[in-house]
Amino acid sequence: MTQTLIDVRLTVNGEPVERAVEPRRSLVDFLRHDLGLTGTHVGCEQGVCGMCTVLLDGEPIKSCIMLAVQADGAEITTIEALNGEELHPAQRAFKEAHGLQCGYCTPAFILTSVALRERGLDIPREELKEELAGVLCRCTGYQNILTAVETYLAADD
Amino acid sequence: MKPAPFAYERAASADEAVAMLDRYQGDARLLAGGQSLVPLLNMRLMQPEAVIDVNRIPDLDGVREDNGHVRIGALARYSAIEWSPIVGARLPLLSEIVRYIGDRQVRTRGTIGGSLAHADPTGEMALAALALDATIVVQSPTGTREIAARDFFLGPYFTVLEPADMVVEVRFPHHTMVTAFAEHARRHGDFCVISVAALGEPDGDAGWKTVRLAVGGASHRPFVADEASAALSNTALEPDAVEAAGAACVEAAEPSDDIRASADYRAHLLPIYVRRVLDQMKARRSQGAT
Repeated sequence: MTQTLIDVRLTVNGEPVERAVEPRRSLVDFLRHDLGLTGTHVGCEQGVCGMCTVLLDGEPIKSCIMLAVQADGAEITTIEALNGEELHPAQRAFKEAHGLQCGYCTPAFILTSVALRERGLDIPREELKEELAGVLCRCTGYQNILTAVETYLAADD
Repeated sequence: MKPAPFAYERAASADEAVAMLDRYQGDARLLAGGQSLVPLLNMRLMQPEAVIDVNRIPDLDGVREDNGHVRIGALARYSAIEWSPIVGARLPLLSEIVRYIGDRQVRTRGTIGGSLAHADPTGEMALAALALDATIVVQSPTGTREIAARDFFLGPYFTVLEPADMVVEVRFPHHTMVTAFAEHARRHGDFCVISVAALGEPDGDAGWKTVRLAVGGASHRPFVADEASAALSNTALEPDAVEAAGAACVEAAEPSDDIRASADYRAHLLPIYVRRVLDQMKARRSQGAT
C-alpha cells in the first residue's frame, strides 16, 4: 500500500531539515534512516527501554513512540549535537566515572542528563534515580552512571 | 515492529477533531501524548484507518483555578501537572500520584485526557480522577457534556466515550481532606499490580468523619470502594475498622490473572495496601499535612 507522504520541517541539532515522511514513520527511524543519525539507538520500540531518548524542545522523550510527523516545527536534539573537538562535559563525566560498558544506553543517559542540567535543579541521588529511571542499562548496575551524572550536574563548566 | 499504514490528520480545534472522528465512524484514533497509543500501533494491536493528532489544538493544556475547582486541559502533560504549583497546593494527591506514572520521558509527553480515554485498569490517572471526584468534560459533534469520573470507566480500555467524543477538560473540586497513596509494582515504573488511594476528613482529636478509598488494578476498572469507605467513616481507623475495610475492598474487587500477577495475589495484596495507605493517612494528619 502506497502511503501519502507528509512534509515536515524541523530543526535537528540546530540544522533545518525538510523531508516528506510516511505518517507511520517513527521519529527514531526518521533520525536513523532518513537523516543517518545513528547515535540514537532502537531497543524495544514500545516505549519501555528508553534507548531512543532524544530531546524535543529540550525535554527528554522516547522517539520510538513519537511519529516523525509530530515533530513538524519542533527542535530535536540527538547525541550527535554533542560532537566537538573536545568531549562534552557530560561525555567526560561518563568517561571519568566509567559510567558505561557496552555503551548502547549511553546516548540516552547523556541526553537525559543534559535536560536535567538545563532544569538547573540540585537533585539528591535518590531523586536522580527517579529522573533516570526511564533509561535501562543491562551492563553497569547503574552506580557509575549515577556517579557520572552527579559529577556532570555539579561541574562548573 | 512498525505500525500498519494509517492516514494522518491534524486537528486545529476540538470541533475539528470530533468532526474528523465522526467522519471516520469509529475507525480513527485521537493521538494526544501517544504514550499508550503509539506502542499499540507499533505492535499492530491497533490498526485504525486514521490517526487524528490533537497536539496542535491551542489552549487545551492549561492548569487553572476556577470557582472552587482546578481545571486541567486534556492536553496537559504529566510533567506539567507534576510541576504545577496550583496542583501542588490544591491537589497534593494528584501531584503525588502523577510521579508514579511511567518515567520522565513518558511524563514529558503523556496527557491527562489521553490517559483517561485510554482507561488502563491499572492507570494511576484514572484512580486519581475517581479518588478526587473529578468531572470529565467531553466534546462531541453535538456539544459538550460533563461526566462524573465514577460514571466514566466501564472496563479495561473501555469508557462511556462514543466514537466521536473527545475529552477536553478534567475538573477537580477543591478539598481539604488528608490524602495518601500506595501501590505495588513488580518493577520500578512498571504498570501497577495494585494501587490504593485514600482521602479522609478529620473529626475531633483522632476521629475521621468521612473516608474515601479508591482502588486500581484489582478489577476490570478502577473503582471507589463505597462499602469499605462507609466502614471507615466515623471511626478512628481502629484495627477492626481497617480490617473490615480491607475485607470489603476484596469483596468489591474482581481481580484477574495477567502477566504481572495472579488474581489470588492481587486479592492477597489488597487489604495490605489498604492498611498501609490508611496508616500513611494517619501519619500525615499527625504531621499536619492535608
